[in-house]
This record gives sequence, structure tokens and C-alpha cells, in this order.
Amino acid sequence: MLEKINQLSFVIGIFFIIVSIILLVGYLVSDAIHFPINLYSGVGMMIFGIVMVNFKD
Amino acid sequence: MRLQLADYLIIFVYFLFVIAVGFIIKKRIKSSNDFLSSNRSIPLWITSLAFISANLGAQEVLGMVASGAKYGIMTVHFYWVGAIFAMVFLGVFMMPFYYGSKARSVPEYLSMRFDEKTRALNAITFAVMTVFSSGISLYALAKLLEVILHWNFDLCIWIAAGIVMVYTFLGGLTSAVYNEVLQFFLIVLGLSPLVIVALHDAGGWGNIQANLQPELTHAWKYMDKAENNPLGVNFMSLIFGLGFVMSFGYWCTDFLVIQRAMIAKNMSEAQRTPIIAAIPKMFMPLIVVLPGIIAIALMQPALQSKGYSIPMDESGGLNYTMTLPSLIAHYYPTGLLGVGITALIASFMSGMAGNVTAFNAVFTYDIYQSYFVKNKSDQHYLTVGKLITLIGILLSIFTAYLAASFNNINDFLQLVFSFVNGPLFATFLLGMFWKRTTGHGAFWGLLIGTLAAAVTHGLTIAEGKGGWISPMYEISSGMGQAFIVAAFSWIANFVSTIIVSLFTKPKPDEALRGLVYSLTQKVYANEKKWYLRAGPLGLILLLITILLNIIFF
Repeated sequence: MLEKINQLSFVIGIFFIIVSIILLVGYLVSDAIHFPINLYSGVGMMIFGIVMVNFKD
Repeated sequence: MRLQLADYLIIFVYFLFVIAVGFIIKKRIKSSNDFLSSNRSIPLWITSLAFISANLGAQEVLGMVASGAKYGIMTVHFYWVGAIFAMVFLGVFMMPFYYGSKARSVPEYLSMRFDEKTRALNAITFAVMTVFSSGISLYALAKLLEVILHWNFDLCIWIAAGIVMVYTFLGGLTSAVYNEVLQFFLIVLGLSPLVIVALHDAGGWGNIQANLQPELTHAWKYMDKAENNPLGVNFMSLIFGLGFVMSFGYWCTDFLVIQRAMIAKNMSEAQRTPIIAAIPKMFMPLIVVLPGIIAIALMQPALQSKGYSIPMDESGGLNYTMTLPSLIAHYYPTGLLGVGITALIASFMSGMAGNVTAFNAVFTYDIYQSYFVKNKSDQHYLTVGKLITLIGILLSIFTAYLAASFNNINDFLQLVFSFVNGPLFATFLLGMFWKRTTGHGAFWGLLIGTLAAAVTHGLTIAEGKGGWISPMYEISSGMGQAFIVAAFSWIANFVSTIIVSLFTKPKPDEALRGLVYSLTQKVYANEKKWYLRAGPLGLILLLITILLNIIFF
């Protein structure tokens, strides 16, 4: 895990996963964020984040 | 534009990550080379994305969207004419000298190839330019946040500068480069939904073409005469001024971008860095030019029902700089709005960090170590490098307030930078490919080229600018004037460098090995697989670029 943290791709992946969680959870629980564009962007960022987490530098 | 909790949360997460990157990199910093030049250890995909990100600061992003709205699709010339060819040339022909000479900076290469006075001239002008560029980035960020979010100007300056200071002080160049890559993805992923939604709203590319004047949707068709197109230049001025002088002058000599290729693991990766970077660069107009064209299309009578318009400035004209922020405000709801704003903040901060790290490398290596304190321990130069980072940030803050106090200082500085940068490529071209070029020739050529730029600007006038000596010749656009100034300064440098070199003594061949094309062993074919070689890759990119120009002719 410690080795992974030193990889830029892992850090970028985690960042986008967190941002996507904010968008997706917000879409589900808050009317202020309940817009389809947030849902689609959140899903896109989640997929990108997972790919980056598993990418080797 | 009002942000909600989710938007603030995304901005906060970004700040947290950039600072965390600084702490992660800090453990690897053991020497001045680690701090100032990443010890030539960065993987190719990172150097390539950092290479393009170094030129993807918010001024570029906001500026290109604004140009897209003002000049239409002709703005793609800044990519397909003004970048790709130079990036391929840098990778194939110039990186072997920059990387192979083991120079730690571009000014250091100049000292090896020419002499100390040429190095000093380049190092000092570069250091001054980077500090001012960094400050202007900071000022522009604070101004933008003050205008669109009504945040406090001073608070924005100090918080942004503070965050950049923390991660560049901790991790030096590597930290800045890593954050540039994060910024690249943030811009691409943060602005892609905007392009898709706005394009859909405008009825697709076909509908945009149907609603806009044809000059705004054809890249070359109306470039036969300057007065026929909104850019105000003809194809000859464009190809020579932008495509050759300005483009090669920037991409092939500016240490800020070349530094990203110089930190690659080996020669092959250093050569491929600008070439791999050219791939996203080629398609970047989709993210930064297309939104501008969509914005102006949405203001046409047939699409006015969409309710979008570019904000007005004080004089009642369209404030093109606000095109991107206004599109974000129009299309992004809470949540994605936070992503869009974070992308803008990231690009400003990254632009600032890039300038500060280039400044500390040049100042430490090429000014402090070369002229003030030689032969000290590596630890000494590491400490100085860190100290210079702090000083660079403080100077940037000072410059940002200077920019806030004097309305025209940005324009003035950009003008001075163009005077200095315009002729620079002639010095490198002659230095790398003509072994007879001397240090005196390079030095005087640079000075005469810069003087020629100033005189050309002083004798021409465009959109009320220039003509400060005597407005002898009127040019229809400021852009055209910039191309002509660059062209004259390049020619003046090229000719004067040759003349002075012919009358002065060149260095012996032994001193020029590895620095000049004719005296350097060719390394282009080291990789066995063709797709790992700079030459074939570059050729493919050039063919695709030509194809894109034909498609959007």
C-alpha cells in the first residue's frame, strides 16, 4: 500500500474516485445535486479513477 | 455564481491532494539535483503530460476559449500550426543536444555551446520573465475568483501562493510536475462534460456551421488576405510568424517546457516526451477552442432561446475572457460546478508552480552557482534551491500586487517577453546546426534581434497598440502585428549572428562534440521497435496534423 501511495497514477486515481463519490452520493441524497450531468460525470470519473489506481507507473 | 457545500468539498479535496503530493515527494529529496531537476528519473507518461501541462495554465485555457469565440476555428492554428511541428522538431533534432550535453538547464547548454555572457543574458531574462509570469498567473486567479465568486482578492492571493509554496518547497520540481499531471486530467475530465452538453444544446457541429459566418468555421479557406478573416493575417504571415518563429521560439527554447523533457529517464524517453505530448496537444482544441465557438454560436438569433450570452465589459463590448467561466456558470449545476472551478484554480496554481520551479533551477544553477558561490557542497545548493523557491513565491506575490496596481502592466510585460523570446530560436538553430556560430555572434544576435522586435513594434500600429516611435505602418490586428514583430526580430537575429560569427573566432571542434549536429554521433535509431523511435512517431503525427488541417480547411 505504501509503495502504491508513491505512484502518481494511484494518487490521481484516488483523487478522481473521491470526487466521483461526492458527485454520486450527492446525486442520490441531495436535491441540489440531483442532475443527470452529475451522475454521468461521476460515473465517468469513477471508471477513470479505478483504471488509474490499477495502472502501473 | 454561488458555490454549495459539494463544490467547496471538491475544492478542499484538491488542495488536500496537492499538498499531500508534496509530502509524498519530500521523502525522495536528498540532493539539489533531486529538488531542482528530479535527478532524471521521471517516467515517460509523466514527463509527456507535464510537458503539455506546462503550457496549459489558466491563461492559456481562458485565452484559447476566448480566442475561439473571437476568431472561431482559426484558433486551432495555435495548435496545428503553432505547436505540433515545433514539438516534433524538438523531439527529433534538438533533444539529443539538450539531454545528451547533460546540461541541467537551457542557459547551461548556452554556456557549453557559446560562452558565459550568452548564458547570463538568457538566464537573467528568463528568471525575470518567470517571476513576472508567475505573479501574473496569481493575479489573474485572484481577479477571476473575485469577479465570479466574489471571494476576497487578498485572501485568494495568499492562500493560492501558500499552497503552491508548500508543495514546491517540499517536493521541488517533481512535486510541481506531479501536480501538473493531476491538473491535466482535472482540466480534461472537468471540461469535457461542458463541451458535450453545450455542443448538444447548440444542435451539434452541423448546426453551429449553419448559424455562424463561414470565416469562423473554416481554418484556411479565408486566409488568402488578411482582411478576409477575423484573425487579420494572411497565410504567409501565419506560417512564418506563428508556425515558424513564435512556435519554434517557444517550444524549442523555453526552459519551462523543455525542463519537463530533460528530467526523463534516458535519451530515448527525452526525445519522445514532446512527441507523445503532441498527441493530446493535437486534440486539445476540442476542450479549449470548441467551447468558444459554441459560445458565439449560442448568441446567434436562431439559438438565442438557449439563454446564453458572453458577458459584456465596461465599454459595452463582449468580454471574451469570461467566455469559459460564463459557460461553466450556465451549464454546470452544483457538484460539477465545483469540478469546473477546481480545474480553473488548478491550472492557475500549476502555471505558477511551473514558473517558480523553472525560476529556482535557473537562478540556483545559472546565476548563484555560476557567478556568486562556486564549489560548495551539494547540501548547500539544496538549501539555496529551497530558499530561492520561497523567494520566488514572495516575488510572485509582489508582482501580483504590481499587476493589480497598474492596469497595463500585463500587456507591457507580455510585449517585453515577446521581444526577448521572438529572436531566441535563431540563436539555437544556428548554434546547434552551424558549428561556425560563435559566442559573440550569439550574444550580439540576441541583443540585435530583441532591439529589432522593439523597433518593429514602435513603427507599426494595430488596434491602437504600438507605433510609439512613429506609426508608419498600420496592421489590421494585434495578432498580425505580433507575428510580424516576431518575424523581423528572428531575421535580424539570424543575419546578425551569422555576420558577427564570420568575423569572430569559433570554438574548436573538440569543444563542440555533443553540442552541434555535425559533430555529434546520431542516436535516433537506438530503439529497435519503430514505434519507440522519435522519427517515425513524429512523422505519423505530422501526417495526422496535415489531415486535420485538410478536414477543417
